[in-house]
Amino acid sequence: MSRVIRAALFQTAWTGDKESMIQVHEQAVRDAAAQGAQVLCFQELFYGPYFCQVQDKAFYEYAESIPEGAIVRRFQVLAKEHGIVLVLPMYEEEQPGVLYNTAAVIDADGSYLGKYRKHHIPQVPGFWEKFYFRPGNAGWPVFDTKVGKIGVYICYDRHFPEGWRALGLAGAEIVFNPSATSRGLSSYLWQLEQPAAAVANEYFVGAINRVGVEELGDNDFYGTTYFVDPEAQFVGEVASDKEPELVVRDLDMGKLREIRDRWQFFRDRRPDAYAPITAP
Amino acid sequence: MTTVFEPLGPALSVRQVLALERVLAGEPEVIAGASRLDRPVRWVHVAEAADVGVMLSGGEMVLTTGVLLAGDEDKQAEYIRSLHRAEAAAVVLGLGRAFPAPPDVMRRAAERCGLPMIVLHRPFPFAELTEEVQSRLVRRKFAAVSLSEAVRTALTGLITAGAPLQRLLDEVAQHSACPVVVTNLAHRVLATAGERPAVDDVLRDWERIARQAGGSEGDGWIRAELGGRGERWGQIMLCGYRGDTGVGRLLADRAAEALVLHRMLGNAAHSWEEESAQGLLTDLVSEVVPARQLLPRARAAGLPVNRRTFVPLVVRDGTPAQLDRLLRLLGLSGLVAELAGDATAVLLSLPRDQDAEALTEHFAARLRTEPGSGETVVAAAGPRTVWDDVPAGLREAQHVADAVADSSAALDLPAVVRLKDVHLRGLIRLLRDDPRVQSFAERELDGLLCERDGEEAALLAVLRTYLASGRNKSRTAQLHHVSRPALYRRLEAIQTRLGVDLDDFEQAASVHIALLAHDAQQG
Repeated sequence: MSRVIRAALFQTAWTGDKESMIQVHEQAVRDAAAQGAQVLCFQELFYGPYFCQVQDKAFYEYAESIPEGAIVRRFQVLAKEHGIVLVLPMYEEEQPGVLYNTAAVIDADGSYLGKYRKHHIPQVPGFWEKFYFRPGNAGWPVFDTKVGKIGVYICYDRHFPEGWRALGLAGAEIVFNPSATSRGLSSYLWQLEQPAAAVANEYFVGAINRVGVEELGDNDFYGTTYFVDPEAQFVGEVASDKEPELVVRDLDMGKLREIRDRWQFFRDRRPDAYAPITAP
Repeated sequence: MTTVFEPLGPALSVRQVLALERVLAGEPEVIAGASRLDRPVRWVHVAEAADVGVMLSGGEMVLTTGVLLAGDEDKQAEYIRSLHRAEAAAVVLGLGRAFPAPPDVMRRAAERCGLPMIVLHRPFPFAELTEEVQSRLVRRKFAAVSLSEAVRTALTGLITAGAPLQRLLDEVAQHSACPVVVTNLAHRVLATAGERPAVDDVLRDWERIARQAGGSEGDGWIRAELGGRGERWGQIMLCGYRGDTGVGRLLADRAAEALVLHRMLGNAAHSWEEESAQGLLTDLVSEVVPARQLLPRARAAGLPVNRRTFVPLVVRDGTPAQLDRLLRLLGLSGLVAELAGDATAVLLSLPRDQDAEALTEHFAARLRTEPGSGETVVAAAGPRTVWDDVPAGLREAQHVADAVADSSAALDLPAVVRLKDVHLRGLIRLLRDDPRVQSFAERELDGLLCERDGEEAALLAVLRTYLASGRNKSRTAQLHHVSRPALYRRLEAIQTRLGVDLDDFEQAASVHIALLAHDAQQG
């Protein structure tokens, strides 16, 4: 019997304040754990509104240091209590004025494993991210958690195949893609790019998107969170496009081996011929 | 009245044109591209110009005498190549003055391109052929427009008459002569129409079809998006349409327009998702259809059914929408639907390795944290690992919910109530229609059921609480907001009217049973 990872994703709507937003996510940890989920990833900038709809430095306050900040510590306790791996997409302050769009990864025993910093930062109407974040500079870490090897690729990153590949080469079995993306802009890509990345790199992808319209703008976040397997098949149903939802699915790692034995993309790739891609 | 059209077959092919009586009289001979005679002919065009290719837009059968080509082999070969580039369906050459015999250069060029080339050994005026083929093609176009109009009129009529979704789909299926499936964005099947065995075949394979991230058209699978006001919310599919693809697309588009209109008018009391779940759970409970046959429908409706534990629940106060939202929030798989009698059924589907009872408790506890649901009771049947046992489980949950329907406050029930919790109450509920039980209840409670001074209803309520609370006087007084002395006076009045001593266990038990039976009959 191959290894099965019970993995979870949580999409939700902005509650109106940071503390209640954190509490909603704490409850989601308990709900996921009640079903035996071994790993859970939240949506991008999980405890805030998607403030990049406006350019207002008041939202710099949402950033905190990782892992020293209070939120990471709070979720470390929960992770340990429930024996669950947590991926926390947050707003990180390295030092005043040096801010990143980051995900912290907590192991099932509550220990802090490290962070991924979003590399690709958009600057288009409704997504004014360059105002808030420096581009990521912490490489392509894959975290060796209690349940398996996990990578994170945040929101706009997903449009760039190179990072997906780097995570695959580093051994990721599941890559989480926490996002905040709106109906008019990207819905035609949402069920195309991540399944394609899962196929190209022969791993599972968990894609998370928040739901609802927030007071800061007109972005209509369309949820439809899902897991997709290395054959581009959705694992169970895609979540609601309007309601908060916890997605809990069993991911069969035997499938990963089966597909990699069938295809040999990692063997047959030609990095020696790819220099033009990395030329600055 | 509904006009039923035969599904229109594919457009006229080259082969069909050659088989027309008028053409046969011209003694046609296929001299090249014989393997491509099934190409559709969109139009028939007479052209003698050497550069005819630039005037074509594809799909034409070109008729020529070759008068401008005779004697120039380069021109002949280029003529054929230009037809090929313009994607003409075929070329027909009438033999005569220009070409007494089939020209070899043209034949070779046509064979290389794969362009069907036909010569007529006994040429006839081309106008006779164009007239015949053109009128057939026009008739086909007209038939398609008529079909489109007929479907639109029929569906609009149904919508204005307030017909349900199912009736609309039945109409579409009648025209398409193949299974019709409506899904939401999660590829959950919301409704189907068509002949049952064919629909079941489609649903049996649904998981594979639905889980394809892309989704392809072809093999007669014709899809049309459902949406409006910039929002997409589902799809309608003709599964295995056997006629012409263009006509199928037209049917699917008309159906999609009607469905969007139906949904936007929004006169249905329930969403399509609710209606779908309701139909399924109602069929399961009633066992009109054996559970096993409903399995493909359940799977297509999004309920995981392989290696699962099923927990049937019934919730008295709680709307399907609220319960569905909670299931999503907790990440639990299940179907939710309102059943008869103000009860909502929830069929949970849990992985086998999970503690079904603990998750049911978790669900019920979270339900009580919802606004206005502080006292909500979830009636649960025992977990079922076999699908065939689910109908009995649903009925068990219904029975438990009925048994505790009116007395949850006095009983101080836990969040989840099971068969073992309803004790005597459950038995009485089952026996409530027995005339002997009914006359027993009448006899025992006679003094409080016959109206004399209008106090009877209030006294009956006190009696109910007193007995349900295990003859706890302080709790009864508290629940009825009266002082202890006032309660004593009421208990005294009750004993006098019934002629019993409630301190005597057997007499109290007898009255209690009678009251349970009375309440069961009322409910």
